[in-house]
Amino acid sequence: MSDKIAIRAEGLTKHYGKVEALNDLDLDIRAGEVFGFLGPNGAGKTTTIRTMMDEIRATSGKASILGMDTHTQAVEIRKYIGYLPGDLAMYPNLTGKDTITYYANLRGGVDWKYVDTLADRLDADLTKKVGDLSSGNRQKVGLIQAFMSKPQVIIMDEPSTGLDPLVQRELQKMMREVADEGRTVFLSSHTLSEVQRVADRVGIIRHGCLIALETVQVLRSKAMRQVEIELDQEADISVFEAVDGVSDVRAQNHHVVMTFGGDMGALLKAVEGYYSIVDISTQSADLEEIFLKYYQDEEASA
Amino acid sequence: MLATVFAKTLRDRWLGWAIASGVLGFFILFGMYAYEGLDISFLEAFPEGYKSVLGLAGGIDAGALAISAIQGSYGSMTIAAMALAMGAASIAGEERKGTIGLLLANPKSRTHVLVAKMAALVLLITLAAIALWGCSVGFAAVLDLELGDMDVMALSTHMLASSLFYGLLATVISAATGNRGAAIGVTVGVMVVGFLGAGLLPMLDGGEDWAKLLPWYYFNGSDPLNNGIDWGHIGLLLGFAALFAVVAVVSLNRRDLKGQSVGVTMIDRLRANPLTRKLADKLAGAARVSSIWAKTASEHQVSLMAACAYMLYVQLLLGWFWRALPESMFDMLDAMPEGMNAMFALFGGGDIGTPAGWFQIETFGMMAPIMVMIVTISIGSNALAGEEARRTMGLLLANPISRSRIIVEKSVTMVFYASVVGLVSFLGTWGGALAGGMELPLGNIAAICALLTLVGLVGGALALAIGAGTGRKGSAIWGAVGFMLVMHVMNSMGEIADNPAWQKLSPFYYYLGSDPLNNGMDWSHVAVLAVIAVVFFVVAIPLFQRRDIRQRD
Repeated sequence: MSDKIAIRAEGLTKHYGKVEALNDLDLDIRAGEVFGFLGPNGAGKTTTIRTMMDEIRATSGKASILGMDTHTQAVEIRKYIGYLPGDLAMYPNLTGKDTITYYANLRGGVDWKYVDTLADRLDADLTKKVGDLSSGNRQKVGLIQAFMSKPQVIIMDEPSTGLDPLVQRELQKMMREVADEGRTVFLSSHTLSEVQRVADRVGIIRHGCLIALETVQVLRSKAMRQVEIELDQEADISVFEAVDGVSDVRAQNHHVVMTFGGDMGALLKAVEGYYSIVDISTQSADLEEIFLKYYQDEEASA
Repeated sequence: MLATVFAKTLRDRWLGWAIASGVLGFFILFGMYAYEGLDISFLEAFPEGYKSVLGLAGGIDAGALAISAIQGSYGSMTIAAMALAMGAASIAGEERKGTIGLLLANPKSRTHVLVAKMAALVLLITLAAIALWGCSVGFAAVLDLELGDMDVMALSTHMLASSLFYGLLATVISAATGNRGAAIGVTVGVMVVGFLGAGLLPMLDGGEDWAKLLPWYYFNGSDPLNNGIDWGHIGLLLGFAALFAVVAVVSLNRRDLKGQSVGVTMIDRLRANPLTRKLADKLAGAARVSSIWAKTASEHQVSLMAACAYMLYVQLLLGWFWRALPESMFDMLDAMPEGMNAMFALFGGGDIGTPAGWFQIETFGMMAPIMVMIVTISIGSNALAGEEARRTMGLLLANPISRSRIIVEKSVTMVFYASVVGLVSFLGTWGGALAGGMELPLGNIAAICALLTLVGLVGGALALAIGAGTGRKGSAIWGAVGFMLVMHVMNSMGEIADNPAWQKLSPFYYYLGSDPLNNGMDWSHVAVLAVIAVVFFVVAIPLFQRRDIRQRD
């Protein structure tokens, strides 16, 4: 990952009449990272992406990709980006190959060997008409056209929609490879496990506002998790309650269970001052819980 | 309002029918107003036989002329077309959209769904017939026009039966095959062949018997406006309509429903066959996706071919008919007083006793502009609004291509295709003139065909511009069709009313106003049409550039 900015949004705002679909979004996405854009349906993910693609125009604020303004330099930008819309639709009477050829022609050519490689990896059938494909197989054609020109930035709205787990995993590998080559991936999702596995950083959006922007590691460390510790002797719960971030402590003989959100090192240090640890297990937090936590916080503060 | 299939069908459709009926009602009023300003008493002097050919056997006055011209032609065609579009969509439309599965997952039988849809169709046709009857009679009363022995109720009843026939014919094909395209194609074919045949065949000796094979004959062959209801004809139309309904129910219950799919075409079979794959791939694959304009062209091949086939076929046929017309017909036409031509104004005007007038009234006046506009308006409405409706615009715009280039490339296709229709019309008319032994200067034929191309482009470019500004395909189609229809009527009425200034506002004035088949090219009229079309094309660019692309319907 470099310090170069691949995508930048500054105060990006989109109103549909009185509906505020997107509110004052600031975002910097570095070249070479996979950025996951998380939020429930209707949060403003697609609005953000469509604004970046110049399909719709910001009410105020602006966005740039590779230093170019997404509105005034839209055509130039599109030479460098691959795009997969959410709710993908293509021409039903064209085969996958025709479809790829069409978009390739509009881009001034494509490396067909690479297209074949992508089709192999995703297990896509390009000989059938798009209209006769199942939604997952259609999605593969969409993915191939997004990746095929080896673009500097790939923007994808819910890319794993309809894909089976095996293909999802292959797609995640492809995204990591893109990032490893110094190129950038921006994907939106409500499938948290997917983002967790593939993204370097995550933005969480809700009601058109960005409510969190963290690396996946920080998000995880912030998360509450269940910690179970087995000690060499009977435990005194006050020892644990004194540690920052610990709550809901329950002890039974040598066994202690607690909810913990904070730095694991600090907890261990505190415990080892009194006891020696026989066994420890934590239930690792996934983004699902983090997500809920952020939402609850938002709700509480609202 | 969504309690039942019946109610939902009505809710989806009522607005289109209301607009169509309203526009037709307006035309009737406008027609009465225009005819009222004319002295048409001379028509009384006509021989009885000729009056009946014109549908004037009863009384002759402004109200009668307007009703017979509007309700008897435009109106019946429009209502029948609405009925067949709705019938074709009934089952096949839901299969195509993939909504039939969920609909039938409810505890309702296929019979229930189909009967509900047919009931909605019957209700809408009936309401439209009543509305037009009300307009004709009501406006005549308001304008204080004598209707004399005119039986408007009979005409409306015939229209009702005839529209039911076409609507249910489309329904039975839709229900039996699940193919909406086939339902529309076959029914339109039956209607158009019938319309032409029922008008032309009776002019020939013994032709009347052949006309009886055509369903359109049973709409106006008995001249219901003057002779009252012919219960035999009504019975025949309704009998067939009922038969179609029964067959539709039976066949829908017997077949497999189709999923959301795109049919297999001839080209697909060729591409699947190893022997022909290479060539077919080149034709159907690589070439058609080589650029935006080529792809647009490939999408509209069918309408282009239909329009060209029609123009070629009809023009040759007209030539042949010209030769076959009995001498007595010409004697009668020669005896016609001046001013008679107002009668034909709706169909483009002209002296039907001359080759130029013959072609103008039979095709160039109305059917030729319809044919060229089927091509141009479908390209124009699909160009931007269609891609947005199908949600393919997002991916198209993800390529390094500006919005204005999309407009330019698609406009190139439209100009090219409109020119092809013009060229084929030229060849057809030339061939027809040869076949009929008519004397028509080639330059004059070329002039009217060039103007035809241009008037078609005005309609198509308007559809493009409306689509660019709204992103709504329905608005693009109906806006352009509605505008051109109003302009056509305006020009026709202007022709009747001795060319008032307002006639010059209609693009159709610049198409036929200079009488190109007789006088050759009027370059100033060419310029006016070209300027209007270019203005619409150019206006589309900023309209489209400023807009948010629509996401869903």
